Amino acid sequence: MGLVKLPFTIHHSRLFLIVGVTLALLAPWSGAQSPAGFLLDFSEAERRMILQHGPWPPPAATDPSNRVSGNPEAIVLGERLFFEPRLSAAGTVSCATCHVPEKSWTDGRKLAVGLAEADRNTPTLLNVRAQRWFGWDGSNDNLWSQSIRPLLDAREMGSDERRVARLVRDNAELACRFEKVFGARPHATDDETVMVGVGKALAAFQETLVSGRTPFDEFRDALARGDHEAAIRYPLDAQRGLRIFVGRGNCSLCHFGPSFTHGEFHEAGIPVFKKTGGVDWGRYDGIKRLRASRFNLLGPFNDDPARAPGTSTRHVALLPQNFEQFKVPTLRNIALTAPYMHNGHLATLADVVRHYSNIDPTLLHVAHMYFDPLVPDAVPTDTLLKPLRLTSLQISYVVAFLATLTDTEGSAPRKPLAAAPCR
Amino acid sequence: MLKTLFLILSIFVALPAAAQNCPALDGARRLESDRYVLSYRTRPAKLAVSQHFLVELVVCPKGGQPAPDGVRVDGFMPEHNHGMNYRAEVKAVEGGRYLADGLMFHMPGRWDFIFEVRGGGKADRMTHSVILQ
Repeated sequence: MGLVKLPFTIHHSRLFLIVGVTLALLAPWSGAQSPAGFLLDFSEAERRMILQHGPWPPPAATDPSNRVSGNPEAIVLGERLFFEPRLSAAGTVSCATCHVPEKSWTDGRKLAVGLAEADRNTPTLLNVRAQRWFGWDGSNDNLWSQSIRPLLDAREMGSDERRVARLVRDNAELACRFEKVFGARPHATDDETVMVGVGKALAAFQETLVSGRTPFDEFRDALARGDHEAAIRYPLDAQRGLRIFVGRGNCSLCHFGPSFTHGEFHEAGIPVFKKTGGVDWGRYDGIKRLRASRFNLLGPFNDDPARAPGTSTRHVALLPQNFEQFKVPTLRNIALTAPYMHNGHLATLADVVRHYSNIDPTLLHVAHMYFDPLVPDAVPTDTLLKPLRLTSLQISYVVAFLATLTDTEGSAPRKPLAAAPCR
Repeated sequence: MLKTLFLILSIFVALPAAAQNCPALDGARRLESDRYVLSYRTRPAKLAVSQHFLVELVVCPKGGQPAPDGVRVDGFMPEHNHGMNYRAEVKAVEGGRYLADGLMFHMPGRWDFIFEVRGGGKADRMTHSVILQ
């Protein structure tokens, strides 16, 4: 094959430059291909927002409301209890029935199924330690009380204090481990205290479930240290999706911070009628349940005498806009935790992005009427969720970005913690 | 130079006597209504998204105005038309100061601090915007 003779001369280095610039200019319109090797011209504001989503993992800290948080013996006991079906009324359902390790600690179902089908989707337990509120409605303010909740729920494990306490008292291995953790055998008559101990051990175990680093984290850290060579390894489609995520999509206003959630609640225009009848009022009922709970951070079982972690519970406001609000979930490992939303209403990530892109503002009603005595002029309308009208290609970019929040170890089979028998 | 000095002096003279005796609050932001001068600062000084913080404030009546009966503190995001998910509790502490606990700005963007000072059967409102990133 011969060379084509050009009517003019271009020096090699200049030719490379021209080709490079042309490719770079064409890149943003280059379809679904996602070659690495380019870095979008992120503005300072975009970079600042991107950097807010790390670093990862966050520093580990123990929970002051749980005196056995971080205790290795408690973690082992918590793991045993987590996979223990005898905690349930029928002896058939454990925490792991819904929180399956190989499914990123979810179950892949639309609605959770314990002893019967529940009203909500199973959320992942990964990074649960970083949360302020627990459950879709935030009806618990700490991980140990959240761990007690499904034990007592008739449709989940259907148990009671007596059954839980009896198992821990009567099983030699569990009783021995309980003593190692709490310094005394399970109380002979105080079932409630034994059950709270079970909750605290379960929490200690779940605090260890932290997702690993992701391609996004590598990109974010490369931007932070100005490492262009490392940054350009991040797929171009993901960069385009990230730009929508932190920009016109407004996604990062709620999915903010290293865990990709600000930890609060929002209405999302998802149907709230329950299969079993009635309406799921979400956060509104969640706050009422939180306040009524003996196991909240203002109650007698908080191990921090100063009640310092209880600030949110002391000050949380019950407002009309809480109706139909649900917790903004973490997006880490989100590609592994389908289906989505509080009731599993949306099957795929593309469905979720399309839902927000085409959102019908008339579906956002009561929850976005803002009532505040100090703000009497507030207009009763939502100005945050607006239809974006993304193209299919743009939706695919956002999905490509969300996929890069996946930890490569996320769904790997896990081995039980090694521990000698307790005697 | 003389002009600047004159300007500073005239502002000082213009302040009613009671407001001049306001206790100092280092690094505070100063706001004014018809009847009150309010200085506030946050703890920590740099606010973080979705983290609780405290507000320390001092309220002084201008000359001849009634002492404040109470103070309320709130936050609002005008661009999103929503406020905080938490209610601040304001307590009077020593030296004419107040301490507001339990505030949280849960989203990045512009937030307006709203201060309401009640006194003499009326309420004065002062606002100040901050940008959270």
